[in-house]
Amino acid sequence: MKSTAVATPSMWERMDPRRLMGGVSQHRVLASAAVLAVLPLLVPYPALAINVLIYGLFAAGFNLVFGYTGLLSLGHAALFGTGAYGCGIAIAVLGLPWYAAILVGLVFSTVSAALIGGLAIRTRGVYFGMVTLALAQCLYFLFYQWVSVTGGESGLRGVMVPSIDIGPIHLDLFDPVQKYYFLLAFVVLALMAFSRILDSPFGAVIEGIRENENRARASGYNVWFLKWMSFVLSGLFCGLAGALNAIHLGVVSIDSLFYTTSGTVVMMVLLGGMGTFFGPFVGAAAFLSLEDITANWTSHWQLIAGLVFIACVRFFPRGIWGSILARLRA
Amino acid sequence: MRDSAKAVTGSSRRTILKFTAALAAGCALPAFHRRAFAQPASIKVGFPVPLTGPYGSEAADQVRCAQLAIEDFNKAGGLNGRLAELLVRDDKLNAAEAVTRTLELIEKDKVDMIVGSLSGAVLLAVNEACKARGVPYNGLSISDRINEAKDFGPTTYHEGLAPHLSVGALGRYAFAGSSKKVAYLIADYEFGYEMRRAFQSVAEQTGAQTVAEIKHPLGMQDFSSLFPKIISAKPDVLCVLNFGRDQLNVLKQASEFGLKERMSIVVGALSTTQRIAGGADAYAGVIGASNYYWAAETKFASAKAFNAAYAAKYKGGVPSDYGSYGYGGVRSMLELARKAGGVGAAALADAASTGFKFDLYKGPQEIRACDHQSIQAVFILKSKAEAEMKGPNDTFEIVSIVQGDESKLRSCAELGHKA
Repeated sequence: MKSTAVATPSMWERMDPRRLMGGVSQHRVLASAAVLAVLPLLVPYPALAINVLIYGLFAAGFNLVFGYTGLLSLGHAALFGTGAYGCGIAIAVLGLPWYAAILVGLVFSTVSAALIGGLAIRTRGVYFGMVTLALAQCLYFLFYQWVSVTGGESGLRGVMVPSIDIGPIHLDLFDPVQKYYFLLAFVVLALMAFSRILDSPFGAVIEGIRENENRARASGYNVWFLKWMSFVLSGLFCGLAGALNAIHLGVVSIDSLFYTTSGTVVMMVLLGGMGTFFGPFVGAAAFLSLEDITANWTSHWQLIAGLVFIACVRFFPRGIWGSILARLRA
Repeated sequence: MRDSAKAVTGSSRRTILKFTAALAAGCALPAFHRRAFAQPASIKVGFPVPLTGPYGSEAADQVRCAQLAIEDFNKAGGLNGRLAELLVRDDKLNAAEAVTRTLELIEKDKVDMIVGSLSGAVLLAVNEACKARGVPYNGLSISDRINEAKDFGPTTYHEGLAPHLSVGALGRYAFAGSSKKVAYLIADYEFGYEMRRAFQSVAEQTGAQTVAEIKHPLGMQDFSSLFPKIISAKPDVLCVLNFGRDQLNVLKQASEFGLKERMSIVVGALSTTQRIAGGADAYAGVIGASNYYWAAETKFASAKAFNAAYAAKYKGGVPSDYGSYGYGGVRSMLELARKAGGVGAAALADAASTGFKFDLYKGPQEIRACDHQSIQAVFILKSKAEAEMKGPNDTFEIVSIVQGDESKLRSCAELGHKA
């Protein structure tokens, strides 16, 4: 009894960063949700906060393949873009309600992920990157040429969801704050699923594959299938991000499928910290804020953003969040 | 054990306090910004244009001209004393970024209207966001699609030329005379197709005959492999329907290949910045359509005043064609607000519904009631050779100024608007 009383930490001891980190990583979804819930107060305007939310989720989905499974895909725009187009086409062309449209987006992105993953996972390293890039560009041109449905180069317009009624709750999506928390609900659900995946035996094995693929194979795991599963699950998260983006912007631009989008998500994850749970959101926030703030100062913002990126990769190879975690755990 | 823990907590308390203070300051900052810069009395005009990207120099001149429009409006007393201010944003020539910036302007800065954009896809995306939120938007990019009923909304205005109007005027000039043989070199995307459609309808009216039609992918380097096919078709006119570096490469290589001696070359869109980048030799003798050229000052008093104000404010130089869209786009919306007696979307649409005529910088213009398209003059220009130029700004000769009128646009019914 007495010994427990001694062991009970004081308030300040509880605030010890190492202790805090322990608690936070036990409740990583809750902690992430709490930070994201106050994000609109920290960034200059709500639309930017929503972009951080959506690109954070996209980067988290990409991180499953890149950070946790160890596969550098350069074609993730295909998963984000098909999710966006699936949702957009369902609303603007087929006239489906928003919840059905999100499902259509998920189907589009998951099927794309299954196909791209199925064809690319036989290859390794830089070849994997090249094959995913090439296949993603194939999808880009497919959607580019499919003008009657996708709008081609002009983009898909009319993805309008002005308001949403869930039981007694009425949400006005033209109000940026209501839209933010509506989208946050999906992101938190996705993070719960993501956390569950990482905690599962599957999550442990994909990290094992990243560390030593031959050993995983020797232990009797079907490495091809597990990598493919990781790619397909990644497609689900990236597709959800794409679908939410379509609802957020009200349009789907062909750029969402272009290879520059794939490049952006790689940069976000590298900036935030690959293989960390919250790093992708930190990376998305850092990348988008940097771009936003420097673009207001100068039209040479890309130069500044590039220098910051080089500095980050050079001095913080673990990324911003990865470095903070390493410092706190040391 | 406890001691060491205390040592750690001692330093961390300060860290935590610092962190909390920083967080609080961070939270307060945006609120402070909002309060410090809010000027409810002014008319706020959002201006998203692609300051970075391939059209950066055009966009920069648009900003200069838009600033001038704001100044001229304010000098004239504003809207019953309410002055205007310009909020410039970089849309990076990317539709998603442009919508994000548009939402920033609407939701955070509470702009009264938005003017801008320099590509068809961005124009349509920004229009969509403004239409949904009831904010008036005047698009500056060349587009036929925005006039169609599907994309048009009561808040949509279009200062940019419709290719049907500009290319129509150009085609009637270039195809005049006995039935001409025409070859087309088309960039394989929406811009090229829109131009091609517009040329086709002129060709049908004038009896011009198509002898070759070649599509090329965007960003092609070497066009010379396509020239033998064009030469063997023996056209009188070669229509080059592309833009930017592609246009430059075609014209440079066509000059070297001696195509200009065999046929006349027409480009769908001719711009000053392009001509300066390409040099006089590549462009010499090339005919094209434009929305504005400074030498119009000999014909229109408004153009003379506009050029003079530009030169005074920016210490010399002349406004470019794309730049002048910035002036026309901003100034015409503000003048419309003056006519309407307010900046509300409904009041502006009401004022436009009875037809709105003005002459701000390029001779008479009019906003058509059904699709809010600005009916305006099209300048048919011929690029001068080095020897003919009297100065660095003397790049083109105005061969014709075709006054726009309703009959040269697609009719309201054709666009899907109810009568």
